[in-house]
Parts: sequence; structure tokens; C-alpha cells
Amino acid sequence: MATRSTRRRTTKAAARHHRHGSGRCLKILRELSAYIDDELSGTICEEIRRHLGACPNCEDFVASLRQTVALCRNVPAPHLSAIDRARMREAILQAATAR
Amino acid sequence: MRRTTPANPQHGPDRKPAAAWLDFDQLYRDNIDLIHRFANRLCGETEAAKDLVQETFLNAYRGLKKFRGDARVSTWLYTIASRACLRMRRKRKGEPDRELSLDEFVPTSDGEFRLQIPVEGLSPEEMLQNKELQQALETAIDKLPKKYKMVLVLRDMEGLSAKEVGAIMGLNERAVKSRLHRARLFVRRELSARGVAAPEPDRPNEHHE
Repeated sequence: MATRSTRRRTTKAAARHHRHGSGRCLKILRELSAYIDDELSGTICEEIRRHLGACPNCEDFVASLRQTVALCRNVPAPHLSAIDRARMREAILQAATAR
Repeated sequence: MRRTTPANPQHGPDRKPAAAWLDFDQLYRDNIDLIHRFANRLCGETEAAKDLVQETFLNAYRGLKKFRGDARVSTWLYTIASRACLRMRRKRKGEPDRELSLDEFVPTSDGEFRLQIPVEGLSPEEMLQNKELQQALETAIDKLPKKYKMVLVLRDMEGLSAKEVGAIMGLNERAVKSRLHRARLFVRRELSARGVAAPEPDRPNEHHE
């Protein structure tokens, strides 16, 4: 018990004393797309996860990047009416046969 | 077999074999929604998007005989559309694409780490029912330099793999991933810098036609 509470205190202290903007934060910023796309090796992922646990700013940043990608993936497709579809086809064939 | 009629009989397909018309019609029917969607995502819902759709299918029509099926038809059409888009853009604006550097995406103040948008407990689809947010997202994507926008649209919106995007844009996978990362950071920063309010709680189910 004693060991665990000491460790928790140390982690909290690390989070409090970590100043965002260190070289580590910048290094991680470079890897974040690969991280959220699951393209990194286990060791690097683990290193990033450890850092995120200690740096709330980086953690927020990753969450916001994930949300951005999720939004992009879910933008609804525009509607094309049957009339527009036929009209465009006609214009294309007209242009194709005109010289 | 002869089930299609030329759109304009006065021009007549006299110098074109009937098969070309048939193939083109099939190609158009199967892919118009895909190319229309792609063009709209690249150009917004504008005349430019319509021009791009037409230019793409016109080039496809002309190249149909040379298409040997080495790539998927959709990949081939995406490639034609991407090239046409770059050409049209150059003709219209003539401005070179700006390079995005990672340094510009490092947040400098506390408010810049999160998105300033209402996201609590909502799925992305639910979030996008907020028209203001959808507009903000479209504006952010539209502000991207073209070559970054293309990668983001192909990868994150059209859902292609980095390898396919590379084949379409003539880039290696590493370059695709590097551009994608910068494009995502750019859009993230835009959404973080500009606040989007939550929709009125009194009228949560308001529909827009």
C-alpha cells in the first residue's frame, strides 16, 4: 500500500511539474497522426501513452485531433438530383463529340 | 445491347464505336456519385465543382480505350479528377501552394489545446447536425492549400488508404502521411481557434431543408 501511494504521489507531482512545450511534447506532436492511425510500434505507442498521462495539454491535443479526424470522416455526402445527373451527362457527351 | 441513345443525336456518334457509348454510360452511372462527392469536397458546392465533374468524365471518355484495368476504375477516376483539379486551380488563381510547417501548429496559449466546440457525449454524426459546426469544418478544409486538402479529402473523407492516395497523387506513402498530418493539424487549429456555440437547447430537433 505504502509503495503504491508513493508512486501515485510521484506521478501527480510529475504531471504538475511537467511544463508543456518541452522537446518531448514537440517530438510527440510529429507522431500524433501515426499514433491515432495505429501505425506506430508498441514501444513508441507506450512512450506516447506515458507522456500523455503526464502532460494534460498533450492529452487534450490528441483528443482534439481525434475529434477533428472523426468529424472529417462523417461529413455527409452532398446530394445529386436525377435531373442534374442527366444534365451533366448530356453536357459531357456534347463536349466529347464537339471538336 | 443497343440500349443507350446519344444525348445529342445531331452530333451523332458516327466516328465513335457503339461500345464506347455503352462503356461510358456504365462508367458514368457507376461513378457519378463518387466523383460528384469528391469534386464537392475539393471545391465546395460551386460551379467549379460541376466543371470538375465534367472535366473528369470528359477526360475519362477520351481515355476510356486506353484504360487497361491495371488500377481500380475508381482509382483511375480519382487520379483524373485530381489532375484536372490542379490544372483548373492553376488556371484560375495562378498562386503556388503554400507549404505548411509543423512549427505553426504548436499551440501557444492554453485555450488552443481543445476544440472550442460542443462535443460532450455526442457522436460525430450528432455533432455535425450542428450546422454552424459543419460550416466551420467546411471552411477550415477549404482554407487548406490544395495539395494538403487533396490528401485529407482522399484519406479522411473518401476513406482511401495511404497507398492508394500515393498512387493517385504520384507520392510515396511517407509524403502522403506527412501531408495528411499537417492537413489534420491545420483543420484542428482552425476549429480550436474559432468557437462554435452549441445549438439552442430549446430547439434541439430543428430540421433544415
